[in-house]
Amino acid sequence: MKILIIEDERELAQSIATYLTDENYRCEMAATYDDAISKIDIYSYDCILLDLMLPGGDGLKVLEELKRLQKQDGVIIISAKDSLEDKIAGLHTGADDYLAKPFHLSELGARIYSVIRRKQFGNSNILQVNELKIDIPAKKVMVSDKPVTLTKKEFDLLVFLIGNKNRVISKAALAEHLSGDMADMLDNHDFVYAHIKNLKKKLSEAGCTDYIKTAYGMGYKWEQ
Amino acid sequence: MKRLLNKTLLYYTVFATIILLLSIPFLYWMMEKLYTDDVDEAILLRKKEFVTNNLRSLRINDIPVWNKFNRDIRILPDTVLSKPKDSIIQEIFFDEMVPEWEPYRVLYTKVQIENQPYILMIQLNLVESEDLIKTIIRLYLGILFSLLLVIFFITRFISNRLWKPFYDTLEKVKQFNLEQHNQPQFTVTKIKEFDQLNASLDKLIRSNLRSYTSQKKFTQNAAHELQTPLAVFQSKLDLLLQDKSLTQAQSVILQSLYEAASRLSRINKNLLLLAKIENNQFTEVSSFRLNELIEQSVPYFTEQATPKELVIEQSIQSDIALQANQGLAEIMLNNLLLNAIRHNIEKGIIEIRVQDRMLEVSNTGGSHALDAGGLFKRFGNSQTDAHNSGLGLAIVKEICDRYGWVVHYRFVLDRHVFSVKF
Repeated sequence: MKILIIEDERELAQSIATYLTDENYRCEMAATYDDAISKIDIYSYDCILLDLMLPGGDGLKVLEELKRLQKQDGVIIISAKDSLEDKIAGLHTGADDYLAKPFHLSELGARIYSVIRRKQFGNSNILQVNELKIDIPAKKVMVSDKPVTLTKKEFDLLVFLIGNKNRVISKAALAEHLSGDMADMLDNHDFVYAHIKNLKKKLSEAGCTDYIKTAYGMGYKWEQ
Repeated sequence: MKRLLNKTLLYYTVFATIILLLSIPFLYWMMEKLYTDDVDEAILLRKKEFVTNNLRSLRINDIPVWNKFNRDIRILPDTVLSKPKDSIIQEIFFDEMVPEWEPYRVLYTKVQIENQPYILMIQLNLVESEDLIKTIIRLYLGILFSLLLVIFFITRFISNRLWKPFYDTLEKVKQFNLEQHNQPQFTVTKIKEFDQLNASLDKLIRSNLRSYTSQKKFTQNAAHELQTPLAVFQSKLDLLLQDKSLTQAQSVILQSLYEAASRLSRINKNLLLLAKIENNQFTEVSSFRLNELIEQSVPYFTEQATPKELVIEQSIQSDIALQANQGLAEIMLNNLLLNAIRHNIEKGIIEIRVQDRMLEVSNTGGSHALDAGGLFKRFGNSQTDAHNSGLGLAIVKEICDRYGWVVHYRFVLDRHVFSVKF
């Protein structure tokens, strides 16, 4: 999978690249508007991470250029601007997702995973991990073809973990992911533990291998 | 507090009265002197008349008749010698007609009638001094009253007319609100002092507005600039977490760093939110029901309340329809509920009450009332709670102010009660 990181903050771009490169992603970086335009003109990417404030031009213009070239690259905007207008403008111009800075790399990982799968599989977006089968659009989970009933939060948690497989996800990232809009005010991450426990229990009762591992008491990891 | 007009009037009244009262003895003395002089002159004139017109033709036999018909000019035998002659003196006689003792000016002078010496006595009645004083006082009271009346109307006129620009300025300064950014436009006057006052106020307000704006901009820019380094910081933590050689001790440090990072980013987001509210960036207004927002939020907060084993009670007695930005209303409600959870005690209670046009969120907690003044200020609370951004209630206040809702804190029956009147 090829990913283009259009971000002028070197350190952040580097972190994202390091985090993603571990798995089957290959990352390229563009730090300026011109750099970004020349890259998208020549290559195609599975997912583009786009910062809106770039030296040399507006990130939204990059989106317009992609549209003009009729490219099918998935685009996730990563921006320090966090207003509804920016979000709407970005999504309207053809971005697939919008993530406000600062974000957890695991959140970004999950979003990239989901954008790429959506682009690739559309409505038949069914994820298969050995005995575990997840129908993402229908939000259904089967273990060895037997359905498992999960709550919405448990389902989100499962997809989030698989989207960051073999990487440790901090409790804070999970808590923020599960809280959505309320995340800004969050101050207790304990409820994550309860959801993880329930999820593990339901999967193991259905006969699924225990893929969810605890890491140093401060995060969780989907090991496979 | 006295009004300027009343104060002026009071001074005028007091001083006018004092001056008028003090001048009464002087006036009395003056008038009496004038009057006496006048009377004396008249006596001398009569003497002259008598000497020229009557003296030569008067016979001794006529004297009783003369005396019978003339009350004030009499001819007396030359026996009354004790009186000084040829100078006017003051004497008191008993007047049988009134009957009262009356003051008189009297002149005794020697005359010759048919070569016999006689004394001519000319007397003129004076007004009693008591009567004079009475008249003066009556006159003075009249003057005083009309003076005060005139002063009152003049002062009022002056106050209304002359001080109009002042009151105009005062009203404008009163209505000035730093947060609403409306630089008052002072009316141009032709009076130097008022123009100076207006110019100084204008300068003061302008510089205040400028520093307020730049301070606000600074906060917003600072928060904005912090987003990227924060993103870098957080991403590096996420990377560090992937390190398989992390020891237990290192992961404890990492955990603290995570907490600090999320607190930092929370403070930052709240600062940005405040700046956005102040800058009117939430313009979209819709109609919605508060009760719906409560229904949406309660499940989430019930989950958040579980670790402390809090009980959330609801008493919804009315349906509040609101016209506002729904996002802001949600933030307001959520901040109130979160506050009630955060500062609660183990196994405490949270009560959400909706009545008439009033939302009340009350919670058990510390046994002392909080300082209501500092509560809604930014970073105004004295407690340093690691999870608290210190901005939650400031945001609530800012949102309420925006829509003219009134947020209020009170401590009743060991409950901390936050109410919002819509």
